[in-house]
Amino acid sequence: MKDQISRVEKEAREDLSRVDSMEKAELFRVAYLGKKGKLTELFKLLGGVAPDEKKAVGAELNRVKQWLESSVEEFRQKAPKGGVPAEIFDETLPGIRPPQGSVHLLQQTIQEISGVFSRMGFETVEGPEIETEFHNFTALNIPLDHPSRDAFDTFYTTHGQLLRSQTSTVQIRVMKERKPPLKIIAPGRVYRPDTVDASHSFMFHQIEGLMVDDRVTFSDLKGVLHLFLRELFGSQTKIRFRPHFFPFTEPSVEIDIQWGKGWLEILGAGSVDPNVFDEVGYDKNTVKGFAFGLGVERIAMLRHGINDIRHFYENDLRFLRQFS
Amino acid sequence: MKVSTNWLKDFVELAPPVTRTAERLTLAGLEVKKCETLTHPSDTLFEIEITSNRPDWLSHWGVAREIAAVENLSLKNPVIDSEVGRTPPPGWKIQIKDAAGCPYYTGVLIEGITETKTPDFIVNRLLACGIRSINLIVDITNYVLLEVGQPLHAFDADLIRGKEIVVRKSKQGEKFILINGAEIELKPEDLLIADSDRAVALAGVMGGKDSEISDKTRNVFLESAFFNPGRVRKTSRTHQLSSDSSYRFERRVDPEGVDLGRSRALALIQKYAKPRHISAVIKAGEKPQLAVKTIQLRGDEVKSVLGVEIKPSQIALILGRLGLHVKQHSEGVWTVGIPSFRPDLTRPVDLVEEIARIYGYENIPETLPVREPLTVVESPRLILERKIRQFLSGAGLSETVTFSLISEDGLDASKDLKEAVQIVNPLQHGLHWMRPTMVTSLLTVIQKNVNAGADSIPVFEIANIYSMTDAHKHPMEERICAIALYGKKAVQSWLDAARSVTLYDLKGYGEAILKNAGCADLCVAKTQKSYFAEGTAEELRTWQTPLAFMGQVSQELLEKWGLKEPVYYAEISLEKLVAPAQKIRTFKDWPKYPAIERDLSIVVKDSVKSGDLMGEIRGLGQGLIREVELFDLFRGKRVPEGCKNLAFRVVYQSLERTLVSDEVQKVHEKIAQTLVQKYQALFQTS
Repeated sequence: MKDQISRVEKEAREDLSRVDSMEKAELFRVAYLGKKGKLTELFKLLGGVAPDEKKAVGAELNRVKQWLESSVEEFRQKAPKGGVPAEIFDETLPGIRPPQGSVHLLQQTIQEISGVFSRMGFETVEGPEIETEFHNFTALNIPLDHPSRDAFDTFYTTHGQLLRSQTSTVQIRVMKERKPPLKIIAPGRVYRPDTVDASHSFMFHQIEGLMVDDRVTFSDLKGVLHLFLRELFGSQTKIRFRPHFFPFTEPSVEIDIQWGKGWLEILGAGSVDPNVFDEVGYDKNTVKGFAFGLGVERIAMLRHGINDIRHFYENDLRFLRQFS
Repeated sequence: MKVSTNWLKDFVELAPPVTRTAERLTLAGLEVKKCETLTHPSDTLFEIEITSNRPDWLSHWGVAREIAAVENLSLKNPVIDSEVGRTPPPGWKIQIKDAAGCPYYTGVLIEGITETKTPDFIVNRLLACGIRSINLIVDITNYVLLEVGQPLHAFDADLIRGKEIVVRKSKQGEKFILINGAEIELKPEDLLIADSDRAVALAGVMGGKDSEISDKTRNVFLESAFFNPGRVRKTSRTHQLSSDSSYRFERRVDPEGVDLGRSRALALIQKYAKPRHISAVIKAGEKPQLAVKTIQLRGDEVKSVLGVEIKPSQIALILGRLGLHVKQHSEGVWTVGIPSFRPDLTRPVDLVEEIARIYGYENIPETLPVREPLTVVESPRLILERKIRQFLSGAGLSETVTFSLISEDGLDASKDLKEAVQIVNPLQHGLHWMRPTMVTSLLTVIQKNVNAGADSIPVFEIANIYSMTDAHKHPMEERICAIALYGKKAVQSWLDAARSVTLYDLKGYGEAILKNAGCADLCVAKTQKSYFAEGTAEELRTWQTPLAFMGQVSQELLEKWGLKEPVYYAEISLEKLVAPAQKIRTFKDWPKYPAIERDLSIVVKDSVKSGDLMGEIRGLGQGLIREVELFDLFRGKRVPEGCKNLAFRVVYQSLERTLVSDEVQKVHEKIAQTLVQKYQALFQTS
């Protein structure tokens, strides 16, 4: 047994002299100390050694083992840093991904649009969703018994309030609270009793914008909104300004963007109607302004090729996580 | 509305292709949504959308007038017949008893109709516009409505009792049978056309069964009138009756069109029905006049609104093309006469829009506002929301957007809905509550995703909840962040095993959000909600303000939503968190002197709360303890039944000096003794 040990030791000394790299050192370690290493095999024979010799043989085995370990360790210390792979490194193993969450696509769209306007100096403000007749209709020049109201079917509460049917309510609130000049945008939820289908929902999101000072013109409205649409849809996007009617703006305009072969309505806007200035207590002779409103869902659907508005509210993780 | 281009050609010369005309109209605000080509007879239909301010476009003649203005063409008038009888129909009279509802009413008696066949061109044109042929007289009234925009009504004159037309409000409890056979109960504000003893028409909305024109009709009483737009609208909405007539009356018809429409109809009746006699027209009331008949416009108003200089000569030309009567008042100032068909023009700015439309929006330059920058202050709550979105989505949660309107499913009517805001006209599925909590919305999200095969569903939503604590005040809206966790904490990988989420994962998110917001001094208390399992809910507060609550959703709700694993749900009030949240944080230096760590592993009864122990330890630290952390908790093994082993790591550190081991040892031993005395703590020997 002792002979076997000294033979292995001798062999090891020779092998060790040829170790010149970290890789070889590792192979050397495995060859002697690995599960089927030469010294490990000798340890396995210890059980068969006569009891009186066992202690001496054991000591001898341990001495060689320690020598081998310290030799390898010594080589490691001398070797350049970087370490020896404890096991064989498999570069094709997949990484462990951190958990993947997501901000809702509608929120991302709101943030992006708010970001564009914020760079142009517009402040983001908010207003309540449960509103009064005054803020949602009267102050916006939408008389109670008038066909212009047909476009705004409304939910009412049992106490006579209503759920705002457009975010234009916020311009009224802000104008009543502050003096011009103003540059604001107001994102938020709006409600209309529409039956839900692929393109309608009784709750959706709008962003309202308003600029008021003593000199802003319709040509400024065109400039600001075209700049916005170029930032959002790219500078190649073709747009057109089409006269329209909104009770709270005069002149009023709808803006279409070219989409495929046709045009798609993307924004409603106009110069603030003098009647609205009257309602909020501004002097309509010295104050000028423009306002605009856009549907967040519509823009998100266009930009991301979503063909059913219901995806936004169903919150299937397979949908949400696509936009993380 | 559908408009036939063949019909338009009766009034204006359309240069081909008509699609170019459609585009020009669209860019002038009369939007042509679709062009449809017809064969037999060949025609092109414009599907047009008419905004509520332009009732004058609700006819072929009106659209032709706009084309003439836009394209600078001349407009032909409809062919009318001024040759009517000289004598009024003997015995017939019109009486207006409600002049506010009907300022002007005219009628004519047509006797002895000999022809009843509607000529093909009328049948075809009506059909192209979506109206089927009924009989010659009715077809002619419909034809005139589509041609000049004036709704007419024809009665069978022999069925009018007493040769009398009375325009009046309805009487208490009066009933009426419509042309379509339906009987309606009239409301006091309904405006009626009646004969000597009963109603014969719902004014401007629909005629009655009892006096309608039939194949046997030989004598006709033809009505052409102006009804008050608001009154027609009210009746139409109250009875949910809408007709081509009511649509036009409620938008206001041109008062001059009353006579024109009648004359046009008589011309057609004369030609195609070949009556024996047409009486003189009998009239009552006066044509309503425009409130604003002239507007003074200054050229500089055009520039200050539009931001473009348009030549005075061009301004005058454009207004003239629109049929307005322009007179120069002085240099750059005009007095503009408004025709009866344009009641929408009342202010200079209305004329500016007309000028801009015809000048072309595309010809107005694009500029950027010139002004000094404004100070923009970002709302602290929006900043907080953005941070929370960033944090939660980074931590693996997905943001949802669910409806603010919910049904009462899963909520306790006496608790959760007691102060909730209710909707009177819900749309569907009993969604008539403005939600006071998002728990049921997020349960539905989890349910849908479980059904779609997901096994790890961590979601959050930032939105308002609504309440009405005082019926005399406006409802309250509170922005909250709701979090719901279900299933696996993380997806299993080749390296790590998956585990299920726990209430403590949820609490970790909650604590992190509050602490990240800069909220110190948090304390916890038990709470209860109808939708949480008994005894699993707690509240996080700072001082006396509750900021968040969380708990495990009750078994009852899980079953209701068909969920097999627990759901943990939290709500954080962002309105309340904004106040204690720190906007700008001040740097705190860390201690320069070394720390000494001591562990404390004790066995206590299950009823002892770890938070109390941590508070106790900290309180006994004589100001030397920087941190107490619970690093292990276990039961079973050598821990007696009904007890738990808690292991705390206590970090001793002073800001002023290096602590001596003996000093720390004394404090630590004192703590240990107190825990033994006060909480019957046992020390585990290992």
